[in-house]
Amino acid sequence: MTTGKNHITSLKWLHLLFGVVLVITFFLPWVAWKEIQVSAYHMAAGSFFQISESNFKLGNPFPQFAFTFYLFWLIPVLTIITTVLVLQNKKAALIAFFAGAMTLSLVTVFYLFTNTLVDLGVGNNAFSMLQPAAFISIVSAIGFILTALPIHDWLKKIIWLVIGPALAFGAYKIGESSVMSETFSDTEDLKADYTINATDLIREFAANDSAGNNKYKEKILTVNGIVSEAIVNSDSSVNIKFVDTAKYFINFPLEKNDYERTKDIRPGDTISLKGSLSGSSYSMILDSTSIDFKRSTLNKTKF
Amino acid sequence: MKKTTLVLALVFAAGIVLAQKKTTSSAVVSFDATTPKDDLPKAENKTVIGSIDTKTGVVAFEAAVKNFAFTNPKIQEHFNAPNWMNSNEFPKFIFTGTIEKINKVNFSKDGTYNVKAEGSLTVKGISKPAKAEGTITVANGKIKVAANFKLKLEDYNISGQPIEAGKIDKEPKVSVSAEF
Repeated sequence: MTTGKNHITSLKWLHLLFGVVLVITFFLPWVAWKEIQVSAYHMAAGSFFQISESNFKLGNPFPQFAFTFYLFWLIPVLTIITTVLVLQNKKAALIAFFAGAMTLSLVTVFYLFTNTLVDLGVGNNAFSMLQPAAFISIVSAIGFILTALPIHDWLKKIIWLVIGPALAFGAYKIGESSVMSETFSDTEDLKADYTINATDLIREFAANDSAGNNKYKEKILTVNGIVSEAIVNSDSSVNIKFVDTAKYFINFPLEKNDYERTKDIRPGDTISLKGSLSGSSYSMILDSTSIDFKRSTLNKTKF
Repeated sequence: MKKTTLVLALVFAAGIVLAQKKTTSSAVVSFDATTPKDDLPKAENKTVIGSIDTKTGVVAFEAAVKNFAFTNPKIQEHFNAPNWMNSNEFPKFIFTGTIEKINKVNFSKDGTYNVKAEGSLTVKGISKPAKAEGTITVANGKIKVAANFKLKLEDYNISGQPIEAGKIDKEPKVSVSAEF
């Protein structure tokens, strides 16, 4: 009887130890992306994707769900509540299960996201980028779940061990699949960020090329102007150029499916085009600077 | 009268000399790094600037990296990212070279000619010797150049897990099509 009681007491203290370690490791680095160390705290504080975006240009693909990251504060909060309740000999298994499962799910997300960064060339191996605190968190979370009382509720405990990583893995893969199957919207359906006259756009770039790029790059522009050159390519696509005297020109490549609407455009025509501005670049061949568009389309022939 | 004739002759001669070098700003470069595992990494750049000297056979192409249009926004973002093409720092792919035996191509007569070019291809700031095979088609006064390049990503220090995992072809197909 005394041995059994001692065993329970030992488990209780072990449970508390796992809890304390879980809280501490929450604030320690779980992963190192090159020299940048990131902890679970960064996820809960909402800065996880900011770090990734500012350093590696990989931001949160679903910013509308950013508020859910605050839920990860529940890991230290629930762990502390559990330890307090256990010290008072009160039931706290369910709370411990939640804290442990959330920790395991968060480690899963850290690993998968790091793997995505590896795809971008950040490091060579996601596993080797995980830090000791991540492994200690895994052990602590498993221990926290397994040592929760009553001790023999094994099936329930195994389910709680598996459910966090499984849900995190599933959600991550669904999100990843959604991002990778996404395509650019038809430019025709997009509202222009800016509407500008071709000559004004050229002069803005000519006056300050960097400022022009910073302002317009990867934005949707509607450009109105008088056509300087219309090149009909043999693949049934058309390139429209607006030229200015300042050694700058705008180059709109139109899609093949626009051919019927664009094949008769001639120099001197007044037209309106819409597209995504790629940026400007100086050509050594032409000794002039082109302001290039992609995914462009004819807006209307007269405006 | 004699003076006028002389001036016209000089203008005409200058025109011939200048006409030897033809340029375009609507050449197309296709980049295809698809594999059986991933059909997304392919794109076209339709605002490539090119030149050809019909006398010497010197050709050049400049393709702005940011102008490659992918269907998937994330792949386009990855392509331009610092660890891949790093388009902010290295904004252009540049090929400069010479077409072999250019004198065999008759630019005043319609026809298609198989040609080879040899030169230097600069990707991500690294220049390597490059060879291309293709055709020159002369039709109705227009010159059409089509060529395929062999590109090894590792030659340009481009590596990573997706390449090792077979999601990106180690040797993407790069083709150029230009009308002058």
